[in-house]
Amino acid sequence: MMQTLARYVRLYLVQAWFAYRALFAWSTPFNYFVSKFGFSFFSMVLFVFMGRFVGLTDPVYIVIGNILLIPATNGVSGISMTVGNERQFGAMSYLLGSPAPRPPLFLGRALFHILDSFVTVAVALPVAILLFRLDTSETNFALVLLCVLVTSFTTSGMGFLMGSVSLVNRDGWMITSTLSLSLFILVGANFPVESLPEFLQTVSYSLPMTRGIMAARAALGGADWAAIAPLLAGEVLVGMFYVALGYGMFRVLERRSMVAGTLDNL
Amino acid sequence: MKHCAIDVKNLQKVFTTRIGFWSRKTKTTMAVEDISFQVQEGELFGLLGPNGAGKTTTVKILSTILLPTAGSVSVLGMDVVSDTRAVRERIGFTFGGARGLYGRLSGRDNLRYFAELYGLEPALSRQRIPELLELVGLAGRSGDRVETYSSGMQQRLHLARALLHDPELVYLDEPTVGIDPVGARELRRTIKGLVACGKTVLLTTHYMAEAEELCDRIAIIDKGRLMALDTPAALKKRITGDTLFEIEMKAEDLPALQGQLDSLNGRLSLEVTDSYPNKKVSIRTAQPERVMQLLSPFLSEQRIQGLEVHPHTLEDVYVSIVQGESS
Amino acid sequence: MNARWLRLFWRQVDVQLRIRTFDPYSLLLFFLQPAIFSGVGMVLSRAAGQAQPDLVYTVIGGGMLGMWSGLVFTSTFDITRDRRDGTLELIVASPTSLAMVEAVRTFTNVVAGLASMAAAVAAAVFLFDYPLASVDLPGALVSLGMIVFGMWSIGVFLANFPVWSRITGSYVEFLEIPVALVCGFMYPIGILPGWMQAISTAIPIRWALEALDTALLGTGGIEYYLRQWGMALALSLLFWGLAHWLGLKIHDRIRVSGEMSAI
Repeated sequence: MMQTLARYVRLYLVQAWFAYRALFAWSTPFNYFVSKFGFSFFSMVLFVFMGRFVGLTDPVYIVIGNILLIPATNGVSGISMTVGNERQFGAMSYLLGSPAPRPPLFLGRALFHILDSFVTVAVALPVAILLFRLDTSETNFALVLLCVLVTSFTTSGMGFLMGSVSLVNRDGWMITSTLSLSLFILVGANFPVESLPEFLQTVSYSLPMTRGIMAARAALGGADWAAIAPLLAGEVLVGMFYVALGYGMFRVLERRSMVAGTLDNL
Repeated sequence: MKHCAIDVKNLQKVFTTRIGFWSRKTKTTMAVEDISFQVQEGELFGLLGPNGAGKTTTVKILSTILLPTAGSVSVLGMDVVSDTRAVRERIGFTFGGARGLYGRLSGRDNLRYFAELYGLEPALSRQRIPELLELVGLAGRSGDRVETYSSGMQQRLHLARALLHDPELVYLDEPTVGIDPVGARELRRTIKGLVACGKTVLLTTHYMAEAEELCDRIAIIDKGRLMALDTPAALKKRITGDTLFEIEMKAEDLPALQGQLDSLNGRLSLEVTDSYPNKKVSIRTAQPERVMQLLSPFLSEQRIQGLEVHPHTLEDVYVSIVQGESS
Repeated sequence: MNARWLRLFWRQVDVQLRIRTFDPYSLLLFFLQPAIFSGVGMVLSRAAGQAQPDLVYTVIGGGMLGMWSGLVFTSTFDITRDRRDGTLELIVASPTSLAMVEAVRTFTNVVAGLASMAAAVAAAVFLFDYPLASVDLPGALVSLGMIVFGMWSIGVFLANFPVWSRITGSYVEFLEIPVALVCGFMYPIGILPGWMQAISTAIPIRWALEALDTALLGTGGIEYYLRQWGMALALSLLFWGLAHWLGLKIHDRIRVSGEMSAI
């Protein structure tokens, strides 16, 4: 029993590390840095000016929301790219043809993306606070970081869901990219969810990140644990649902890809 | 009078790469150290060597894809560095493997595209493309997407692509890799046909039998250096070693054979084993021609039931040279 | 332009449209991403209490973003894909210059990106009742032509970078949003700080886009247009010159480094 558990943990960690390195092994530090922050930062600035154009002159809401969106980009794109890359380089057949147990094999792929997200936000947030001279006198930083960690985890489920589509469809990344972009509208990053039409609000609350971002904003504003706990609890529940769904889809589509022979089709 | 199609002098190619994430150390790799050789017009020249020897690097320099670090390379009288475009118009090349085609286009459309890159007139294109597809056995699949081709089919399409503009000089980098024996035999026939038409061909291959069958001369390179260059027959003579004869004959004929072989004064080794209902005689000798002479009467009188001869192969030469055991 | 180059042009356009331009990635870049950015703009307007979003910047600006994103990614992806598929070496080693091939590909990508602009204009007119009557049509069309020429010149210049190496190529992708930012794709350029506006003066798209926005609002005069178009044209030609110079350098460099086939 202990041996099996040790094997699972070892496989989980080894998979996590190599899968993560496979994505960035060719990169330089500058390139890595820019890929982490580049699109997110410039999109954020673009939205700030779009907000200014319509009369929303305080950038704080948009800045904080877009920083907190970074875990989503990492989680959704990173994990699904890992799967896509494995197909592209022909490694997927070997991976799925191995006797390795599936839970650590698949779930391990999220680990470093979660850590990466956490570190990225932990770096970006203080920079944003300094740059925009945000008032953090009331901020509960421990709670903010907790919110970031939770949302990093909950978005990994979406990454699995999107990654699983890549097993059977070579254009699965397209769905991933569309979803990642949609998050700019749907999860309250640039404006309150209440600004959306009602049917879209329903979609927002069914996604991970929405409650996490709301909780993080509240913590930044000085809210205590009692105030944000329900939001985080909701975030965790939604996240667990997506993790379970993503893992389940992975197994189902793995089987389907073996039947249809789509694993190695580029 | 034949002219020099390829003239390589003191060719050297060094690659510089950066490794590491933070420190980015520089690593240099000497892919080709100092190679010189010439290929005459109309010749089928083989370039052999283990993986990583520098064959493909050399071919890429000859095809103007890479620039040499040092040395000079002249192709059809033109310098590959200063006369790049002119060289490109008169050479064709394929690299081993299936990469290098647009999978979403058909075989025919891939050829049409490359025909335009090589400036073929439309009328000529319309004539040559079907001919080449027929030549490489893809006429029936020319309208299908390349991504549906097997790797062997893609290799054959590459050959068609290389011949589109009727080049005088063709480089074939492992053209038969991944092709089944029947397809490979047909491809070799095609390659011979190219030379018969007056083209010069430089071939790299790992298949020794192929090199021996096709090549007028062979260069063996290893670790970026030229180890040997000669005709296949001359290369085989470079190594000493015994030829093995395995003879099956009746036991009562054995003393007569042994008596004949005594004339070699022990310059052979003989082993007799049972091969019911006959005897099997294994003879190792450094004088195979003399042994064949001695065996001739037995053969003509049908006193030998079976004969196998195992001479030096080019593979033996190659291995001995690459492993540094040549005499 | 002789017959041979014309034939090559059409063949390259044909291949480019079939293997690259009309693939799902383009769908994302030309339509989905601009729609989302326009969507953000529209909801921001709503959050700010505006009854109707600004159609020129929020909606049609999204089309502009689609054109630009499409160009940046298809042009870099073309080379990356060629490198991965092994066709980059074959193109470089052909008698036709890679610069020529890239110029035609980039032109195809830019012109295909007009689909994004067309979709945005259609959305503005049919979904949001944008009043076409006020549009200075000749001014808009010439400005759009200048935008196409400007993007083409920048695209050809940028295409050198992914040819150089996959790392330098990945830097090009990071220009997508910054250029949209400083050139005022989705807002009037006047709301940017002075230093950002100064950066955009070196980009031909900025001048042509300002002229286009003015034409859509129907507020420009001939002197204004000539100044804007003149700047766009001059800067575009400068980029062509830079592209040519860089292309020669990189052609030799990649033949030294041998990275053409490195994935």
